[in-house]
Amino acid sequence: MNNQRIQSLSHLCADIGYKSINHDGELLCGDHVDIVSNDDGSTIVVLADGLGSGVKASILSTLTSKIISTMMAAGLSLEDCVSTMAATLPICSVRGVAYSTFTIIHLKQEHVAELIQYDNPQIIWIRDGKRYDYPKTETTIGGKTIYQSTVTLCENDLIIAMSDGCPHAGIGTAYNFGWKLDDIAAFMEDFANLDYNAKTLSTMLVDTCNRLYDNHPGDDATACVIKIRKRAPMNLLFGPPSRRDDCDRMMSLFFSKEGKHIICGGTTASIAAKYLRKPIRPSIQYHNSDIPPTAEIDGVDLVTEGMITVSKVLEYAKDALADNEQYELWGYQQDGASKICRLLFEEATDINFFVGKAVNPAHQNPGLPINFTIKMNLVKELAECLTTMGKRVKLLYF
Amino acid sequence: MNITVCIGSSCHIKGSRQVVERLQALIAEHNVGETVTLSGAFCMGNCQQGVCVTVDKKLFSVSPETVDAFFQENVLDVILREEVDDHG
Repeated sequence: MNNQRIQSLSHLCADIGYKSINHDGELLCGDHVDIVSNDDGSTIVVLADGLGSGVKASILSTLTSKIISTMMAAGLSLEDCVSTMAATLPICSVRGVAYSTFTIIHLKQEHVAELIQYDNPQIIWIRDGKRYDYPKTETTIGGKTIYQSTVTLCENDLIIAMSDGCPHAGIGTAYNFGWKLDDIAAFMEDFANLDYNAKTLSTMLVDTCNRLYDNHPGDDATACVIKIRKRAPMNLLFGPPSRRDDCDRMMSLFFSKEGKHIICGGTTASIAAKYLRKPIRPSIQYHNSDIPPTAEIDGVDLVTEGMITVSKVLEYAKDALADNEQYELWGYQQDGASKICRLLFEEATDINFFVGKAVNPAHQNPGLPINFTIKMNLVKELAECLTTMGKRVKLLYF
Repeated sequence: MNITVCIGSSCHIKGSRQVVERLQALIAEHNVGETVTLSGAFCMGNCQQGVCVTVDKKLFSVSPETVDAFFQENVLDVILREEVDDHG
């Protein structure tokens, strides 16, 4: 229910995020999303919706998405995939059929996406903030009507795949016929040109479905969003170097990097300010009860306190990979941790950490909940979370 | 008169937020906003004595409990003395 990867498409990349909600009362989701990245730089995303709900649907959709993604990644034809599925899937005892609908998005290296759609709601494609009506061709494979399309990718394209639980949201309660695809498209158009990442976009869509269901979904609902975007490098400096002589080397490497620059830590900020020969202007404005205020240095995009702020960022990162319930907090709050989250989770695709291993004597006090070991683990865990989010992360220690 | 409060990690944990907010309230209460500027600063290198506060570069150790007494003694009384000096 989490996951989000960014794969190389030379200067463009695809930010992929998805979220599901389960049929009311079910522990398992009958929808499944599988993402496979190939060595040649292409990526296959499969969204499958199994017949019914609960365990049975979950098995059907998991098998379907796994079979398709694995076989497609191995270069086998769609016909082979479909016939393998038909021969492999367990047959539903109630309905007498083996059935799972699927949507395949194959992002190829040459900035082209191949769409293969079987019985799920049609993919909504948003280009330049407007719904784009891509061409489709109809084929029949093994008695199934399948729509195929090949579309060239543009920056800021939004590709939205869903299970039918999304357009069915609100049937009989909020709407007579559910949340129509046109209306979902109009809803998403408003967010297309804003800086939301794919995970946040999919969360907004599914959360809205859940509200339309009055928090009791009558079906599993899944949205998978792919956002085509430019690569964006980001650099984060955290802690002074273990040897004082290394300050200049660390600073010159850090500031020579392309992209935005974030500095975490008061002492670190002082070193950077000295290197840049600019004053630090700390603020005393508290936006969030627990996070120390930020500061400003000309030439640095964001200056924050160190340990407490970064701990909060890690907390938000873990949530973003799990239920993504706190994005409404870090998404707009003005404290240092929320600002770092927006830069790292949403804006950045490539992140360089410059980590100083100096031991702060003031932090080695047993009365304080911060010390050197915690700091190193903090960096390691945050880097792991960001890698799981699909970012390219590099760690440099000084 | 310049008062700076350390907002670094160590002092933050020891309550710099409460100190800052109390000082802001006291400055407003005693109507000395024109004489006193309050600002933040990163680590002053005296974390053991936090919360670190300086008044015109002189270092003090303040806690949320002692901030009122600190303000009376090192801010209000000093302002009063300067006013007396001016008139005297």
